[in-house]
Amino acid sequence: MTCQCNNKEENHNSLIERTDAIIDRIGTSREIIIPLLQAVQEEFSYLSSEVIERIYQRTEIDRAQLISVSTFYSQFRHIPYGKHLIKVCTGTACHVKGATNVYDSFRRELNMENDAITTNDQLFSIEKIACLGCCTLAPVVQIDEKIYGHVLPGKVNEVIEDFLATAGDDQQNSAKRQVEKPAGEIRLGMGSCCQASGSTAIYEELIDASHALHIDIKIKPVGCVGVCNKVPLIDVVLPDGTITRYPNVQAKEIKEILHHHFKPAGYIKRIKNSLFNQIDTIHTDITWDNVIWKSVDERTGIIDSFLAYQKHISTEGFGFLAPLNLAEYTNNHGFEGLKKALQQSREEVIQTVLTSGLRGRGGGGFPTGKKWEIVSSSDSATKYIICNGDEGDPGAFMDRMMLESYPFRVIEGMIIAGYAVGATKGIFYIRAEYPLAVVRIRKALEICREANLIGDHIAGSDFSLDISIFEGAGAFVCGEETALIASIEGERGFPKQRPPFPAVKGLNQYPTLVNNVETLSQIPFIVRNGASQYNQVGTLNSKGTKVFALAGKIRHGGLIEVPMGITLNQIIHDIGGGVEKGEKLKAVQIGGPSGGCIPASLCDVQVDFDAFNKMGAMMGSGGLVVLSESDCMVDVARYFLSFTCDQSCGKCTFCRVGIRRMLDILNKICSGKATLSDIDKLEELAVNIKKTSLCGLGKTAPNPVLTTLKYFRHEYEEHVNGICKTGTCKDMIKYQITDDCIGCTKCAKACPVDAIPYTPYEIHTINTEQCVLCGLCIDECKYNAIVKESLNQQTNREVKESAVCR
Amino acid sequence: MQIIINEQETAVLPGETILETARRIGYEIPSLCYSKADKHKSSCMVCAVKNKQNGQIIPSCTTLPTPGMEIETESEEIRLIRSLSLELLLSDHKADCEAPCSMVCPAGLDIEMMLRYYDNQRYPEAYHLIQLAFSLPEIACDTCKVPCEKACRRGAVDKAVSIRAIIKTVLEQKAIITDSENEKAELLPVQKIPFNSRLGRFTEKEKHYLKENIKSESRCLHCACAGESKCKLRRYAANAKIKRPRYEATSVFPAMHKEHITGNLWFEQAKCIRCGLCVYNTDNGFTFKDRGFGMQIIIPAENKKQINESIAGICPTGALYCVNH
Repeated sequence: MTCQCNNKEENHNSLIERTDAIIDRIGTSREIIIPLLQAVQEEFSYLSSEVIERIYQRTEIDRAQLISVSTFYSQFRHIPYGKHLIKVCTGTACHVKGATNVYDSFRRELNMENDAITTNDQLFSIEKIACLGCCTLAPVVQIDEKIYGHVLPGKVNEVIEDFLATAGDDQQNSAKRQVEKPAGEIRLGMGSCCQASGSTAIYEELIDASHALHIDIKIKPVGCVGVCNKVPLIDVVLPDGTITRYPNVQAKEIKEILHHHFKPAGYIKRIKNSLFNQIDTIHTDITWDNVIWKSVDERTGIIDSFLAYQKHISTEGFGFLAPLNLAEYTNNHGFEGLKKALQQSREEVIQTVLTSGLRGRGGGGFPTGKKWEIVSSSDSATKYIICNGDEGDPGAFMDRMMLESYPFRVIEGMIIAGYAVGATKGIFYIRAEYPLAVVRIRKALEICREANLIGDHIAGSDFSLDISIFEGAGAFVCGEETALIASIEGERGFPKQRPPFPAVKGLNQYPTLVNNVETLSQIPFIVRNGASQYNQVGTLNSKGTKVFALAGKIRHGGLIEVPMGITLNQIIHDIGGGVEKGEKLKAVQIGGPSGGCIPASLCDVQVDFDAFNKMGAMMGSGGLVVLSESDCMVDVARYFLSFTCDQSCGKCTFCRVGIRRMLDILNKICSGKATLSDIDKLEELAVNIKKTSLCGLGKTAPNPVLTTLKYFRHEYEEHVNGICKTGTCKDMIKYQITDDCIGCTKCAKACPVDAIPYTPYEIHTINTEQCVLCGLCIDECKYNAIVKESLNQQTNREVKESAVCR
Repeated sequence: MQIIINEQETAVLPGETILETARRIGYEIPSLCYSKADKHKSSCMVCAVKNKQNGQIIPSCTTLPTPGMEIETESEEIRLIRSLSLELLLSDHKADCEAPCSMVCPAGLDIEMMLRYYDNQRYPEAYHLIQLAFSLPEIACDTCKVPCEKACRRGAVDKAVSIRAIIKTVLEQKAIITDSENEKAELLPVQKIPFNSRLGRFTEKEKHYLKENIKSESRCLHCACAGESKCKLRRYAANAKIKRPRYEATSVFPAMHKEHITGNLWFEQAKCIRCGLCVYNTDNGFTFKDRGFGMQIIIPAENKKQINESIAGICPTGALYCVNH
């Protein structure tokens, strides 16, 4: 017994010691609370009461502040979690592809009951997460650091098995070796999406295979290629410059691809290799023909048309720039814009940006040059520049990609902006869900510091600016600039009333320029090439290019940068290859929870800030989710409302209570219990919340409802009558097995709740009482014999006709 | 500086907000989250006015005027917005203004008040209240169908309070009540303000909580709001002619959960409108917890001792109140 007591004491002492070390490293003042709690959570996996008591003792942080802040941001945990954390992405793209079913499947698979978030054996915890930013691989699940794409509800057991099988492996065993005279180069996309689809395995295989085959090649991880639906994608570059592109590569194909292009160093090895290769072929039945399961033309043709309509300013150098290779960035015009700016006066730089017509890409579309002018006009000795990388929209991942793939470009834009407004300190605000982006920016800043591109007397000029990183802690509202500033100051992310605008009175009461990642990434091009080259691109009032995250029911999703003025139809059909599975386009959801749904009939609209606003939608930050005939618009509206309801900061009545009441009404509509007057009530609330809210979140939150009411009111009315034509709203449908059933028992085996009795060679039946409508049986059935039927008998035929089996 | 309020040119005094200027020249603007002498941040939007130049709806309590500003405070649009914001707040206000028993008593006896005296063994006051209501107290309730017991909220929890029996008990104490003590009774008639917030149904959890925690002599839950006399929410709701909230109320907070803070100070979460006045004006006292619709005001046990009872005065509703027994 005594022994145990001693142990306990020792544990406690070590806990205090570790906490003290963190406090010593990070600080004791009130405003460092978020970084401090992040560090504590990283060390102990949650905020335990012992550690928190120590924080009260040793820092200025008091109980009231700690509770206020730690319960506001969703990143912080107050109870211990299991060994591994499963994060199920519920972003827009994942939602329309059935993320809820995936979440439910995990819970079932892990036998999690009621409200439990951790399994009984403490092995797994599960949570829903707003968006992992891998929308093209929807539905996406992240377990610890490993991301799984295209997770089907029926395959979650395989995901768990795979994770447990590889969890012990040391991922860091990829020994790097220097190559003196490479026979060629292989470029491999290593963005988050690429890694989710297995590019890490490909990377390791490339190293192993080239080593085993004694082929000296340079393996170069590059940033996001944008063709996210074709990843993992490798480019083989031969010394003569010819590039061969292999989309959707698998690890087992690597050896043969290498073999095809490169000859090993020695003659004997060559023979040996070819022999082994033949043996491999006999053993594994994989031949060179197997690799090309589609003709080269077909594979690259899609990519070419995917890329043809794009214009690359923010993503210049896509597919060949290594994210952290400064020399390469400089060789490709990198930091030319900065050098040019430093030779000009501040006013000249601002004038260039004003003339370029660049508007803020964060959503509002405020002229960037105007903002710069306001900050610049203040004579305050301290000024801040903040790069807003708190991309919280579900369905958007442009900022993540740019921070991961083009860190130097964003940094360059930030220094130019800092110079123009006379900033004395720079801060990168990056959301916590983007660990790779944080790592890359941190590294890039170190490299820049060594190269004297940040710090004192940048590039030999009089201008000095240092840049640090602040990790957001999980609050969508912090994308709003005043809330973002509040969180840096160590407060909860309550937006402040404007005026005064941050450009006049921002962080610590000093003038603060807050620009979005994408906005800053356009700056180097503008300054380098001049305003006139930039403002040639685009429409009258929207200049330049816009990066979109194209996802949802689209054949070729991905990250695209298009000139303003291109139509939505061009994006969907010419770039994206149309709606997947040959379905009809119903609408495009643009701008995430602040934006709206544009119906297919209006998709010839040009990409333009004002045109979108006029339609009730919004450019937002650029998520573009394609919706097909099988998507229920009421459900889409409800999805966004539940997101904003969850993310509202809670300060003002209309947003806090109003959005919740809207959601209540939408839930009622989706369960078929509403009346027509509920639709009017919904509209009244939506109009007034939009009018009366104080910050951007509340002002735009009703947009998804308002636009769907405007363009798809008939769907709301159908729901009131008890019909959801797409069979999305579960309270209104049941599953039914038709006479097409041949009794193959596949559905019975797939059913997780045993609602389908195992009756071979008989037409199966579904026990609707037990059925949880997860859709696994529909996925399994080869004969389309399982249909969704409306519970409302009169309308059954109508629904049957339009029911879509996914 | 000159601004225009409802087409009337007005001079603004230094440091004045729009609300202060408008009130000074005689316009009535309701406000809940505003407290002139204290730190406040706009939250309730009951003081909404319209900036006619850009069409924006702004909270007048925190907005500083700019030269030439044109403000509208009286239009139909503004009236609707204020009324809607009150309705929304009330939809999340799970509380009774008045106790149902007192409301239904045909003789107009403030039963809840009487029971409060009874629970504190202040029989003379209880007796006095009964005397005020009935001309012949001894037989008063004999013929009554006791609607009070039918209305009793405790009935939904387990069994209604035996009001008639308690009245009898109080009357039996007459012998020991002297005349001088009689005068101690406070004469507070039931408020006849036209608006009355109603609690609605208890959840199973709430029923369980109340059953386990309310152990007073009479078993009365004391539904009537103790902060009622200062409650702005009720007053404005009455002024706005709100009858009953149009929104189906859902709340994450348990009804009638009365938390003792310090001394005579009590806090009832379900009546709170989350304006934050008590948070901003206590140092390491009250604090926010969570966000969005589920955001609540709490006070950690360790912080209670440093709270001053006078903070009750800052609360615009009956969420923070003092009880004098």
